[in-house]
Amino acid sequence: MPDPHTLANYPHDVMLSILAKADAVRIKAFAEVLIPQLGDIAVLENRTGLVMLPMRDTAKGVNFHLGEVLVSEARIAVDGRDGYGMRRGRDLEAAMAMALIDLAVASGVSHDACAAFLDQEGATQTAADTDRLKRVEATRVDMETF
Amino acid sequence: MAYVATRGGERAIEQSQRLFREEMGTITAERVAEIRRALPYLIDRVMGEASLYDEDLAALALAQTGGELYEAVLLLRSWRTTQPRLAVAAPVTQEGLFTHRRISAAFKDIPGGQVLGPTLDYAHRILATEVLSDQAYTPDPVEPAAQPSPARQPSVAAWQAENDLLSAAPADPTAGNDIPDITREPLLFPSKRAHTLQSLARAETGGVLALGYAAQRGYGQAHPTVNELRLAEGEVMVQHPRGTTFSAGRVKISQAEVVNKKGTQLELGFAATLGWNEVKVIAAATLDLNSEGAAKGSATEEEFFLYHTEGVESSGFCIHFKLPHYVTFQSSLDAMRDAKTKKNARQAEPAE
Repeated sequence: MPDPHTLANYPHDVMLSILAKADAVRIKAFAEVLIPQLGDIAVLENRTGLVMLPMRDTAKGVNFHLGEVLVSEARIAVDGRDGYGMRRGRDLEAAMAMALIDLAVASGVSHDACAAFLDQEGATQTAADTDRLKRVEATRVDMETF
Repeated sequence: MAYVATRGGERAIEQSQRLFREEMGTITAERVAEIRRALPYLIDRVMGEASLYDEDLAALALAQTGGELYEAVLLLRSWRTTQPRLAVAAPVTQEGLFTHRRISAAFKDIPGGQVLGPTLDYAHRILATEVLSDQAYTPDPVEPAAQPSPARQPSVAAWQAENDLLSAAPADPTAGNDIPDITREPLLFPSKRAHTLQSLARAETGGVLALGYAAQRGYGQAHPTVNELRLAEGEVMVQHPRGTTFSAGRVKISQAEVVNKKGTQLELGFAATLGWNEVKVIAAATLDLNSEGAAKGSATEEEFFLYHTEGVESSGFCIHFKLPHYVTFQSSLDAMRDAKTKKNARQAEPAE
């Protein structure tokens, strides 16, 4: 089997990170359109579960577990090629939608539409972060001591 | 300690649960959503103590228990056991945190500066009673800066290490399932540092505060100054089956370092938790700072504070005293009556 396709402007990690944070309603609506183009999809996994999140202690440098994060996971396949989704929260359909887009990209299906979706979602996420950080910057202390 | 099996309470138990739940009425998805929206800091506290990050589940647990926090945390800890562990994420690092609040009480000019972020630290504590007279309270809007704050801020401790104020902590190569985990292995003493910090991360806020406050008031060996406090978000970095590492989303994290002078250098205490709960992490970091060499049985000794701040175990032990202890108590009464009878008999004996 040939190597999976990727999008020109989106390395696999960037694409997945955007999809994992994409708006749940929009990602489901977009993925729905891809289904007819993907053929016979086998659902290998669609479940909720936990991801343990470690953190590095800054005093002694030790890695320790902060706690577990609820995630939804989906793994699907067409003709031996996998699509995978994992997102925070308990929305199984949104995880499935992520897996469908991952599979579409890997299979070379609807690349333009997928890239356009990622453009839109990536821009929305960046704008939300920037907006928040401008609010945070407003709280910067210009400190003088007496 | 002896318990006794009893019968005859089935109907009473059923009705007592109904009486408890009657007060909350029908729980709807809208109510859960409103709790999540209106009470983010309570949601954070519950998620941290439950050691389970999901705002919807935390809001549901609060709705279902009427805000009885110990019950809410217990519900979440119980539910967590029904879920498989799918992965262990890559360790979150301080430098990688998307930072909303970052202050230092030890150094004014820390690299990256100080941003207060969301806080009521300097607020007048005035109850908005007009709301009760049907006048809505709408907070003044934030006036955003023209430029965003840097999302990621350098570490104060790293800067101190560069200036020879403290020894730089070597990075721990332990990862994944090799990181010690108290949900899968017993907490033994002396505790592994990973166990100590994990226990503090999931500890009950009030318990940590009580013992941390005791140390701060003078029942500890070291007086803390906040070296760095952060409220931030960390990326949950997981692996795609093809090996690509990506973020499955962000979670809120609080982290505190407290510092004390030790000889010619500074020593740090550290704590972090899921959710934004800065009182808890400052108190917990104080306990970490004070634990080395603490006297057995003192508030700052790790066995003492780790066992006594585990909220599910401590609240469970406390409420177990409501279970029928009739055998034990009857035995105590019998002993009292016997002693009384003997005492009375001695007093009744004529003097020789």
